[in-house]
Amino acid sequence: MPSDSVAALLQRHRANEDLNAAVISAAARNALDLAADAVVGPLDERIIEATGAALDAGHTHYEPVPGIDELRAALAQHLSEATGAGWDAANLLVTAGMQESRFLTLQLIDAGDGATALPQVLHPGVRKALGTRPRETVSLAVDAERRLPRLQAIRAALEGGSRLLYMESPSRLTGATLDADEMAAIATLLADHDASAIIDRGLAPWVAGAVAAPTERVALIGEAFPGAGIASWLAGYIAVPEDWLPPIQSQKQIMAICTATPAQFGALEAGNLYTEEQPPRLEHMQALRSSLQDRARAAGLDALAGGAASVLALRLSASQKAQGLTRLAEASYQVADGSDFGAPDLLRLTVCDAAQAALDLLADA
Amino acid sequence: MPERKKSGTNLLYSMMAEAASYDDAVIMGRGDPDFDTPEHIIAAAKEAMVQNHSDSSPPEGLPELREAIAARVERVNGVAYDPASEIVVTNGGQEALFLMVLTLIGPGDEMIVPEPNYNTYLDSTRFAGGRQIEVDTFPQQNFRADPADVRRNVNERTKALLLVSPNNPAASVISPQDMRDLVQIACDHDLFIISDEIYDLFVYDDVVHTSAAAMPGARERTLTLNALSKAYSMTGWRVGWVTGPAPLMERLRELKAAITGATSIISQYAGIAALTGPQEPVQMMADTYVRRRRAVLQALDEMGIEYGVPEGGQFIFADIGFTGMDSMQFAQRVLTEQHVLVYPGSAFSEARKQYIRMTFLQPEDKLREGLERMKIAMEGIRAELGNGSAS
Repeated sequence: MPSDSVAALLQRHRANEDLNAAVISAAARNALDLAADAVVGPLDERIIEATGAALDAGHTHYEPVPGIDELRAALAQHLSEATGAGWDAANLLVTAGMQESRFLTLQLIDAGDGATALPQVLHPGVRKALGTRPRETVSLAVDAERRLPRLQAIRAALEGGSRLLYMESPSRLTGATLDADEMAAIATLLADHDASAIIDRGLAPWVAGAVAAPTERVALIGEAFPGAGIASWLAGYIAVPEDWLPPIQSQKQIMAICTATPAQFGALEAGNLYTEEQPPRLEHMQALRSSLQDRARAAGLDALAGGAASVLALRLSASQKAQGLTRLAEASYQVADGSDFGAPDLLRLTVCDAAQAALDLLADA
Repeated sequence: MPERKKSGTNLLYSMMAEAASYDDAVIMGRGDPDFDTPEHIIAAAKEAMVQNHSDSSPPEGLPELREAIAARVERVNGVAYDPASEIVVTNGGQEALFLMVLTLIGPGDEMIVPEPNYNTYLDSTRFAGGRQIEVDTFPQQNFRADPADVRRNVNERTKALLLVSPNNPAASVISPQDMRDLVQIACDHDLFIISDEIYDLFVYDDVVHTSAAAMPGARERTLTLNALSKAYSMTGWRVGWVTGPAPLMERLRELKAAITGATSIISQYAGIAALTGPQEPVQMMADTYVRRRRAVLQALDEMGIEYGVPEGGQFIFADIGFTGMDSMQFAQRVLTEQHVLVYPGSAFSEARKQYIRMTFLQPEDKLREGLERMKIAMEGIRAELGNGSAS
């Protein structure tokens, strides 16, 4: 006998008007948390149904270390469509979220004898992951507006002996992306110096149009199908050339055996729905971000242009930022402090309805 | 005793892949209970999805789950921990193990480990830059480590003792007196203790499980792991935990945040249901394992295969040395000819090439089928031995 059916649970759920809203945004669930780099979207009933069915069918045991085949294939297809490169399921490993993707790639991809090159500005989880078993690092200067690494800094690092480069495109702090020409130049530099790159493209689904990525010598990492409401279920991916996978997979075995089955089956269904569901989500978020940016600028705040629709970064003077953080804290708002990313002059807000009130507090500060 | 040169973990995964290619395979190797996760736990997971528990968890886990773990540990293991500062939820026992080793072991450090042991400890210790010092155990003592042997191996580089009770793969259980003696060694030499107690609910023949941290002087120096995987048949959910004193747990929590961040929220809600809900399914599984264990031991007796009497856990470590084959050859032959997967002892230790590890985590009819096929394989091997052609 299966346990209480999903249908029965959903029936109860539907009776709850509060939870039956068409969109359950972060604003509705936790009005004051603006620190995440993407809003927690609504959870599609089909994802609940599919995951519940998988559990009822006995998918409660160990699954293959690199992930269930269907999810690996779905992620490969998504990445192939998004980047134009030919990713295959054999290139993919499912992780227990973005931080495990960072850890496994930073610790297991061969950096040769050189330092790992890191942009000055990047998600704090990167330095944490490296710190567990420190590797030598070299810092890459970033530009003032996007906070992305400058090409000449990358060239200098590679000429200086670095063989592994870590990048975010879009930036986890500003949402800005490297364009196709820049990525092509980076790809050439990697080839010329026999080097490799890890690129976090977790925010790419929040950018309209393609986000460029090299097709060779690169590991792509990110969350599995962000925006589908399963962020806290924690499923991520690593896409690498097939011959890079064995040491990463071996380490995944050693430290986790496999990724949790509910997270994997939830992500699989999210993938099935993504082509249909993500475009309207992105359109909604773009409009919301645009209005927030206009509101910020009208209030005299310096909102960066960014790129990803899920985040809005603001550039503030030291006194503005200090006062703003105090005001936000007094009102119980949480935001991401750029200091944690290596950009002390920035604050980042999650794009959602509640960000409007936070912007007003910052404008008053 | 020399360190193993090749990762046993990879060896086992390649054998599992071969077994998966046989439709009629009987899996008596992997530690994955055949029971489905109890219904009320799956129901709780569904409820969590429906309630859209999309709130993020702190790296150390949901407070409700840590409270449930604290209650369980105090009830079963007799040790009280503060849920706020002394418990971290992990992606199963495997991550717990990795985090414990990384918390305590650094480059050049040594950890004393009873041999044989679960192969991932060596992999984790190597990752940390440390070294395992193995202490031999013997089937005549049911693979129990002798505290005197442990004491003899302590030196200035020794950082920790690894205690696995019930043991994987040898199924030994550390007696209360030996546990006191081992803890005393740790106290005398100011060593940390890593205690793996994932099979603590599964002991047999009136054997008593003793938690290391419950011994006088142990709590402040002991990290203990456990998980829901084996007791609740939840291997796929990846929920485990580490308990220990706050200063060590602060470091472990930082590592957890750096390596994987939080544990999946749906699995955590399932974990709350497992620990706070009905416990009858656990008892039912334990009772079943008692019967199955008896059936396997009887079959091994009939085959003339010797073993250390398994006092706990879900394994039997059996000696196939008389066949003249090493364990890899034996396991491969049984797998290829009879489609029965047992694990070679060489995956756990170079010194255990004459052993195989068997589980009893299959339905009884399938288990008996697997044992019958093993008997056929053994008859063939014995016939070849008579001809002088076994290899």
